Amino acid sequence: MKFKADEIASVIQKEIEDFRGQVLTAEVGRVIEVGDGIARCTGLSTAMSGEMLEFSNGTRGLAFNLEENSVGVVILGDYLKIKEGDEIRSTGKLLSVPVGEALLGRVVDPLGNPLDGKGPVLTPHTRPVEWQAAGVAERQPVKEPLQTGIKAIDAMTPIGRGQRELIIGDRKTGKTAIAIDTILNQKDTGVICVYVACGQRGSSVAGVVEILRQRGALDYTIVVAASSADPAPIQYIAPYAGAAMAEYFMYQGKHTLVVYDDLSKQAVAYRQLSLLMRRPPGREAFPGDVFYCHSRLLERAVKLNKELGGGSMTALPIIETLEGEVSAYIPTNVISITDGQIYLESDLFWKGIRPAINVGVSVSRVGGNAQNKAMKKIAGSLRLDLAAFRELEAFAQLGTELDKATQSQLDRGYRMVELLKQPQYGPLHVADQVITIYAGAKGYFDKVPVNKVQETERQLHEFIRTEHADMRDKLVAEAALTEEVEGLLKKALAAFVARLASKS
Amino acid sequence: MSDKSTKNRLDNVLEDPGALAIATMYARSYMTAAALNGVGAPEEELNSFLDDVLGSFSEFEELLLSDAVGRDDKLAILDRTIAPKASEFFVNFLRVLIRHGRIAMLPMIRRVLGRLQEEAAGKRRVRVRSAKPLSESSRSQIREQLMIKLGFEALLQETVDASLIGGMILQIGDTVYDSSLRSRLKELKGRLVEKALNEIQSGRDRFSHPERD
Repeated sequence: MKFKADEIASVIQKEIEDFRGQVLTAEVGRVIEVGDGIARCTGLSTAMSGEMLEFSNGTRGLAFNLEENSVGVVILGDYLKIKEGDEIRSTGKLLSVPVGEALLGRVVDPLGNPLDGKGPVLTPHTRPVEWQAAGVAERQPVKEPLQTGIKAIDAMTPIGRGQRELIIGDRKTGKTAIAIDTILNQKDTGVICVYVACGQRGSSVAGVVEILRQRGALDYTIVVAASSADPAPIQYIAPYAGAAMAEYFMYQGKHTLVVYDDLSKQAVAYRQLSLLMRRPPGREAFPGDVFYCHSRLLERAVKLNKELGGGSMTALPIIETLEGEVSAYIPTNVISITDGQIYLESDLFWKGIRPAINVGVSVSRVGGNAQNKAMKKIAGSLRLDLAAFRELEAFAQLGTELDKATQSQLDRGYRMVELLKQPQYGPLHVADQVITIYAGAKGYFDKVPVNKVQETERQLHEFIRTEHADMRDKLVAEAALTEEVEGLLKKALAAFVARLASKS
Repeated sequence: MSDKSTKNRLDNVLEDPGALAIATMYARSYMTAAALNGVGAPEEELNSFLDDVLGSFSEFEELLLSDAVGRDDKLAILDRTIAPKASEFFVNFLRVLIRHGRIAMLPMIRRVLGRLQEEAAGKRRVRVRSAKPLSESSRSQIREQLMIKLGFEALLQETVDASLIGGMILQIGDTVYDSSLRSRLKELKGRLVEKALNEIQSGRDRFSHPERD
């Protein structure tokens, strides 16, 4: 496409001719002091809490504290360029970010400025960063599943669309990996993903973006990045900005998934802001409204009712704990807000059980209704079986002689644990998960040596896909384990076991 | 500490807003008390005290305004020196200030008092920023228009700022009326960019949803 110069010129000329600059009226104030990402200003007597303000050099600010004689302003940008005495203007608008399809595949900062060097974000739509969550009447129960592609989660702590499931664990336990796998698994499902990196290292954000790009997941993903080098205000608003970007799609009736990685860093940024603003500190020096800070964010994850288009926003907040301490302030807050948590343990991680999910402590309070029927049928007893196995395993470590029944139960337990292991970036379709767990629970893997289980599982999937694809298709289509499908599955598994026996 | 002392603050650097609020309170009370007691032109005595007494005797100024001297000593000095020469009303005002430890605010109180009296007389200060120095006719035009539109007599404080390119900015209190060419150009730029964005977006839509056209 080529531009016609005179056509453009006439358009521009007309625009200029028609332009009637109006006298701009604004409320102004002056900066009294500035530093550490905040400014104190006089004037601005009509400024509202949360209003967007503009400094004379174009940097934006947010009215944060309204005091008797001054206004505490959070500076969203480079605060080093603002001087005492600078003018600050009210805009009468709330802080907004650009939203829309143009953001898909982009890496932006929390104000919507591109960080990926792919040019400006061309979108006519904006949306306020802070938005009131949908009310009770505007919602409907969580009923559709959001498949993470991770066997242990989809089987035992299923997540529904519109749910808020916390991922909690120490450093280096694979929290981000679970979130990324979930995003990868949303390919071709129409779920739009937003990954909010808050207070992360720049290099790890770049790593995530690279993985998403390689696996073709960036086409339906927006990355909102506030690295640890960004000022605290930017880190503080990052999750709200990400939520606003997802909400745009949600109110269009689409399904969305937002990952907040991680909220403990956001709480720390908010603590820094609040302390600089001289708000009184509370427990662990966090301000009193840090609970509200997280609850109003996570409350925005909803499943909308039919009149509003039935869109949904699933939230996967991530919280990092110290030494497995879940009773610290922020973890308990977020645990109480969310609809369940996936608890990761470093012990399990180093034992090689990856994802390192502690099945006993992890729960999903609403996801059960949303679970795939086939999965629900076979995974119902899995959690209890695993718990029984853990007990037995501890008992067996005493070296006592075991009877045959106990020994076989133990053996199956070892194989089940092995089957629930899954490599990173390898999300599985729910049908494949059903096949694996069915085979494990019904004892088709009992003859396979424990260290060969994972390899055999791969062979099984290969076998099913090449030789029993019609059965798998039926399982995918019906999403339930009907008698017919179960019969076919049994037949296929028997054939597979026979082939294994003939090989060895 | 008086206005005549060495200038160590930039013009655009502000006073502490808390102190300003307190000074406003004292200035307003002084004005009201004067009206109630039938004292005419209370600012005259205050100005004369600051200019003629403190201005001429800087040691006395330091003595009175510094924190090194105690309240009772200051009161005693006041009684011995100023009280016989000044009106009872003004001395009482100084006593109150000394007792409250606010005597150092005197210069600020004077400034606020001046502003309050102007306001009481229906005058307001208006900051005018223009690209070129104002002519006498435009000055009177501004005054006239402000009188008609907002109903007060304007005291113009003019500054010339070439970066405005053209037009002017009026500031009354905290409200700014901006009709400078700089802001208009900025707005025009924003509008042109937005228009271009819409053009690009519609161009894209034409490719991605060809059936719509």
